[in-house]
Amino acid sequence: MNFRIVIKIIGFLLILVGFFMLTGIPFSVYYGGDDIPALLISGLGTVLFGTILWFTMKVNQVTEISKRDAYLIVTLGWVASSIFATFPFLIHGSIPSFTNAFFETMSGFTTTGSSILTNVEALPHGLLFWRSMTHWLGGMGIIVLSLAILPLLGIGGMQLYQAEVAGPSKEKLHPRVTETAKRLWAIYVILTFAEVCFLLLGDMSLFDALCHAFGTLATGGFSPKNASVAHYNSPYIEYIIIVFMFLGGTNFALHYLALHGKFKSYFQDDEFKFYISFIFITVLFATFYLVLSNSQSLESAFRNSAFSIISILSSTGFVTVDYEAWAPFATQFFLFLLLFGACAGSTSGGVKMIRYQLLIKNGILEFKRLIHPNAVIPVRHNNKTVSSEIISKVSAFVLLYLAIFAIGSVTMAFLGLELQSAMGAVAACMANIGPGLGTTGPVSNFSDVHDVGKWVLSFLMLLGRLEIFTFLIIFLPAFWKK
Amino acid sequence: MRIVIAGMGDVGYHLAKQLSNEEHDIIAIDMDQQRLSYSDSMADILTINGSSTNISTLKQAQVEKADLFVAVTSFEEVNVTSAILAKKLGAKKTIARISNSEYLDEKVDIKFSEIGIDFMIYPEELAAREMVNLILRSAATDIMDFEGGKLSVIGLRLDKDAPVIRKSILDIAKEFESFDFRIVALHRNFRTIIPKGNDRFLPNDQVFVITRPEGNNVVLKLAGKEDINFNNIMILGGSKIGRRVAELLEDKMTVKLIESDEEKTLQLADSLTSTLVIKGDGRDIDLLAQEGIIDVDAFVAVTEDAETNIITCLMAKHLGVKKAIALVDKVNYIPLTQTIGLDSLINKKLIAANNISRYIRKSEVLALSTLEGIDADIMEYVVQPNSPITKKPIKDLGFPKEAIIGGIIRGEESMIAVGDTRIQKGDKVVVFSLPGGVKQTEKFFK
Repeated sequence: MNFRIVIKIIGFLLILVGFFMLTGIPFSVYYGGDDIPALLISGLGTVLFGTILWFTMKVNQVTEISKRDAYLIVTLGWVASSIFATFPFLIHGSIPSFTNAFFETMSGFTTTGSSILTNVEALPHGLLFWRSMTHWLGGMGIIVLSLAILPLLGIGGMQLYQAEVAGPSKEKLHPRVTETAKRLWAIYVILTFAEVCFLLLGDMSLFDALCHAFGTLATGGFSPKNASVAHYNSPYIEYIIIVFMFLGGTNFALHYLALHGKFKSYFQDDEFKFYISFIFITVLFATFYLVLSNSQSLESAFRNSAFSIISILSSTGFVTVDYEAWAPFATQFFLFLLLFGACAGSTSGGVKMIRYQLLIKNGILEFKRLIHPNAVIPVRHNNKTVSSEIISKVSAFVLLYLAIFAIGSVTMAFLGLELQSAMGAVAACMANIGPGLGTTGPVSNFSDVHDVGKWVLSFLMLLGRLEIFTFLIIFLPAFWKK
Repeated sequence: MRIVIAGMGDVGYHLAKQLSNEEHDIIAIDMDQQRLSYSDSMADILTINGSSTNISTLKQAQVEKADLFVAVTSFEEVNVTSAILAKKLGAKKTIARISNSEYLDEKVDIKFSEIGIDFMIYPEELAAREMVNLILRSAATDIMDFEGGKLSVIGLRLDKDAPVIRKSILDIAKEFESFDFRIVALHRNFRTIIPKGNDRFLPNDQVFVITRPEGNNVVLKLAGKEDINFNNIMILGGSKIGRRVAELLEDKMTVKLIESDEEKTLQLADSLTSTLVIKGDGRDIDLLAQEGIIDVDAFVAVTEDAETNIITCLMAKHLGVKKAIALVDKVNYIPLTQTIGLDSLINKKLIAANNISRYIRKSEVLALSTLEGIDADIMEYVVQPNSPITKKPIKDLGFPKEAIIGGIIRGEESMIAVGDTRIQKGDKVVVFSLPGGVKQTEKFFK
């Protein structure tokens, strides 16, 4: 373990985080908020602290980052970023308790979007902007961002990239990992810019447009409004956000190919097809149910169900309606959706489509293998054989995920939530979605959760964002053995 | 540069890692997914699973955009075919690894560039030539000549009783007024350093010296070595390399070649006219004694098996053979075997990889060599007009600490670089650099 390089790189991450804190200041100046000192002190302080770490840690130029270093850098980097991100809220005093502030920033960076704030609009604009900015940074990943900026990480970069980027298969868009990171961020910036433009056309202020675009493409879910997207009461805005939530939940490698003119590649990808069909079927079902039972108009039924379902599946967590009130079984239906997630290689969280898809395929083939015991029947994805190694990794992941979900739910129930809310909260935090069910559901928030519960949930958010293994591995004694 | 490498064996892997560190974009093709996953986790490259003779695989690797296609699988046919395909698909240059020396023969009237292979590399031939070089210049562990020997970099291992032991570089500089040589690097305890004036020499250090032809003898004397002419060598293993070494040396000295396979011995005896071919197991010490290993000057072990080569070489050293050279194709063994007292190790895969990377850098660097087992490069640059290196005397240049300017060839003259030397345009400059210094060094020559 090379602690010097670990600390040095965390120093760099903090410089980035500190710099981005300062980006809220123009808005506090414009709106005349009282949060300028808070942002300035914490921003400059974080940059300074990061710089000190960076320069005091002398690292031999040829040092390579080992796998263990990479896991430690990524996990500690996320924790450190979340801790430093709390300072503007603490110094300003809008979130006085560290537990609450940490929950909020961890929820921001992991793009969960669960909030402990009961009155979001009471916060000054600079802080709100920073709150949404944590989403945007965390969405594509702070590590991926630093890979794009810092050429020094070239050699060990692959290790870091693999430790942070989600999904069972990590496609590179370019032979070099720094170039891959640059391309991912470029697509991300382009999509964000596009959404901001579209939202501005829908009469949103620039500030709101930026915050919502950050929340959408990072599949985060923080809104600067108490009523979330419902605040605007504008079908246009809702449709725009539906589209971009959907895009945020799609594999960015496909966007990359599309930007190079290969639009077909979307429909050549098995996972995307599964993703879009899954959405189509569930939205269709919900729309007809709403039309028939709640006698909504077809348009509003479609819009509401598409918004809610895509918001949950893509792990965004924006809210326009209280979907739990739709039907007696709506809670169960949404619990089911909470456990899905969108595509690998996107900014979304959760188990992700591809894992279920591979497991389902493998499960079905198991029957075939029973009938033909000697046949060689591999699982295929995108017309390619999937190695049994990947299948076993995926099975381990899903099993571990569900086990942690169960343990987490019981823990939260012990801490005072009723079981359904506990399950919803845990599922929503692990999959980085945001709103859970019941008392932590779309129309309430996490402020009443027990303090210990907030720490447990923060822990689960990071665990989910780093896809379990990267996070849990550092708790393994074997990880620290020489 | 965008480089597609087919075959992630030792040659391909080493090459991919080296080139990716030099900021080339590497795409690797191999049939073996495990090999690819390993390479992928160790180097910053893009991997594609498939056969390099499949057009679809080549297209997937986007060879049409590649500046260079390198085929280095262990099968000659695959390499030749995929190089031709890649060229036809639009790769700018192609390199294929071959295992037939005929293709390199200039008398053969086939233009391989016409069918799509720009450069061919034959690792066995390269390894054999390197061994012959080491035998002919008996005292050195490594040799590299520049511009036909106007300057040479020689690696020497210091014995306990060498005159320089415990002396510092400054002491030695005081003893000698003329500047015919300069110590550029020191390899001790697995580490290579660029020594400073007050660094002292210890027994078993490996020292790299750049010298002019006039300085050769002084250097050897200081290291306690003398360049003797070998006239009796023994080769263990009748593989391609063993046969080639025998071919190259049999007119100059007595050569005995030991091979255990009967059929091979017959073929060898047929083609090698003045070599004595012996059938037997080289690990058998009685056989070696019977064939007079005690009287042999140099022992070369080139069987397929790295362990056998190392063990027999150690045995030969133990029996008093002056020089033992082992072919070690396991890269992992290289740092280890240097410390257990072998003179020279030859790794044909590293040689091949270095040769290819030399070809790639040809445009800017005249010659390049990576010394085996130690982490350093020796490069020869041609000085461009107005490059930063010509602006000031060497001592004022702020040259990186990880690199050292060894010597300069100006026209027919060669000189060893000292602090006051000013480099002029058109000079050829030999630079010794640790890995951290390569990039910074390049800036001085742009």
